[in-house]
Amino acid sequence: MALLSLTQLLALLALLFAAAAFALRWRWAAQRPLADDRAPMKGSPARGVLYAFTFGMAPWAKESTRRHMIAYLRGVGFHIGIFAGLAALLTSPWWPLVPDSARWLFAFVIGFGAWLGFVGEIMRQVEHNLRALSTPDDHASVLLVSVFLATASIALINVGWLPAMYLASALMLIYAPLGKIRHCVYFFFSRRFFGLFVGRRAVIHSEATR
Amino acid sequence: MSAQVDTALQVLEKQLNRPLVVALEACARCGLCAEACHYYLAEPSIDHVPAARGEALRRAYRAEHDFLSRIFPQWTGAEKLNEESLAKLAEMAFSQCTLCRRCAFNCPMGVDTPLMMRAVRAMATASETAPELLVMLADAAIEKGKDPSFFRDMFVEQMADLEKELQTKMGDPAARITVEREGAKILYVPLAGEHTIMPPAIIFNAVKEDWTLSIFEAANYGVFLGDVARAKQIAARIIDEAKRLGVKEVVLAECGHAYASFRWEAPNWFGETFPFKVTSLIEKLDEYVSEGRLHLDPSANPELITYHDSCNMARTGGVIEEPRRVLKAIAHNFVEMTPNRHEAYCCGGGGGLVALPEYTERRLKAGKPKADQIRKTRANIVVAACENCRLQIGEISEQYGLGVEITALADLVVKAMRLPATRPEVEKLFAGDPATVSSN
Amino acid sequence: MSSTVLDLKGLMCPLPVVKIANAIKKVEIGELIEATASDPGVLADIPAWARSSGNELVTMEKVEGKVIRFVVKRIR
Repeated sequence: MALLSLTQLLALLALLFAAAAFALRWRWAAQRPLADDRAPMKGSPARGVLYAFTFGMAPWAKESTRRHMIAYLRGVGFHIGIFAGLAALLTSPWWPLVPDSARWLFAFVIGFGAWLGFVGEIMRQVEHNLRALSTPDDHASVLLVSVFLATASIALINVGWLPAMYLASALMLIYAPLGKIRHCVYFFFSRRFFGLFVGRRAVIHSEATR
Repeated sequence: MSAQVDTALQVLEKQLNRPLVVALEACARCGLCAEACHYYLAEPSIDHVPAARGEALRRAYRAEHDFLSRIFPQWTGAEKLNEESLAKLAEMAFSQCTLCRRCAFNCPMGVDTPLMMRAVRAMATASETAPELLVMLADAAIEKGKDPSFFRDMFVEQMADLEKELQTKMGDPAARITVEREGAKILYVPLAGEHTIMPPAIIFNAVKEDWTLSIFEAANYGVFLGDVARAKQIAARIIDEAKRLGVKEVVLAECGHAYASFRWEAPNWFGETFPFKVTSLIEKLDEYVSEGRLHLDPSANPELITYHDSCNMARTGGVIEEPRRVLKAIAHNFVEMTPNRHEAYCCGGGGGLVALPEYTERRLKAGKPKADQIRKTRANIVVAACENCRLQIGEISEQYGLGVEITALADLVVKAMRLPATRPEVEKLFAGDPATVSSN
Repeated sequence: MSSTVLDLKGLMCPLPVVKIANAIKKVEIGELIEATASDPGVLADIPAWARSSGNELVTMEKVEGKVIRFVVKRIR
């Protein structure tokens, strides 16, 4: 019980640290200039942003994801697992109130995500371009997240694993704002900028401009 | 730290706006972008993976701005910028990236690698490691803007000669090429050389457009340098000219980077929305065709024709359907390349590459995916709405034995107009004085 | 008498300027380059290049048809 409380506290402190560190990064980035777009629009920025986060993410939307469908779907599955894992972590004190079937479902999604994470790490070691592109930070990030997902998945079924999950989540959360894991936050801004670009200029929905 | 490196880092700092920070931070190093790059398709090596190009700049960025990288640089691959890495970065940004944006469109994260490469180009320009020729071309253009009097008279004289030729071609002594005429509705900005003046002049006269000609050229080499200060000075020549003449619309020649920069970026450089509309000649042609203002005979273009989407016109500019609508009105046999529109391959000549002889071999090699694409269409004619693309496709046609003819869209429109001078009986008449003929 | 003679006819801008800029680096200071071009863009571009690069445009004239002949001198 003492181990559980200790690891829970650790996870909470790590969460606070991550929130504070991300807030600092946010402040730094927000101080950077962002020019107003003064060119008259041809299309709709809102439609572009909507596309960027919906159909634009579909596996068939881009040549790269059509060509590397399996690798892309692996990534998508991994990230679905991560969001489910984070939701599970944040709601962990209330797990006893959750029906068994829902816990099993979450355990499966998160566990599958963990498996996809480990497969991703193997791909990073084996595929020559990925190996050349990767830094120790990349490997550590995938492994930290995958271990967290694995422990969360098991803990959902066997509460005896809760301390392991909290410990793994603490390590992941402390590392998140420092290393590559933080790309997940910038993802939303990056897709938004992309959406604004293609929307304003009517690049994707060019037929709609007439 | 050398002064050169110091300057480059200061420029990086200035360039570091929110979109650039996001581009530097969002990459997951998934490598899915590899085949999006025509350099990679032509020569699959890690150096040509767009993510690796981004990493080259990120190493320097992390060394300056990342807490973990400052403590454990090897852990994140951070590396302080030095003269050697700056030279490598500059060479990469100017010779192995045409800023075509294909990687950004193919990135699941939407990472804007061309934005990073433009930042590198800006760093290289400021630290005098950019290709000398691009700097020279930009400076020559700026010089023209400072004192146009040294060439204006010659230009006007030359246009008077061209006007006579125009009247002959059109069989119309009233056809005009006016230069910088105040109160005109449209200011047409050509490229250097009459091949970008005569066809639009024919079209503008045929539709009785109220137009006048700029004494400057639409090309902007400051854009290729990533140097906003130079790019602004070059663009300012046209902006000032348009404001002085009071035109309602500036129509740019078929030139990819000129359109993308003047239409979409220049208002942001100057922090103002211009008091005139900016369009490409392609959009204007589409307008005339759709309004039925041109009498066109598609049988004048019987060959199999394909269209090359210039990256600046399509992916960056959003001019995608317009040329297709025009092509369908002026030719019977139009065939698409695959892929096309925003997925089209870069021809390899963008980003100022065609003006840099030191990279010719590399440029032609990177043009192979486009050459293969053209070959598959079996087309005899390739239409491109960009001068750099036309130059590059002409060279790759020779290099890879494509044997295709490369043309601007306006040239084919003129062909479909079946001008009097293109009819043999009129040509005979025009052997004499054009005025005599037109009075008949 | 020019030591280097270039035939730039048929080349479109910016290639005439690019060729001249490359050629000028290969001659000694004070030497002349004579060139002929057919793209009328050179009428503006060569004088502008000479001014911005600090070299001298000695002469520029239209000769037969659309051919333009010019001579530049390397100053620096």
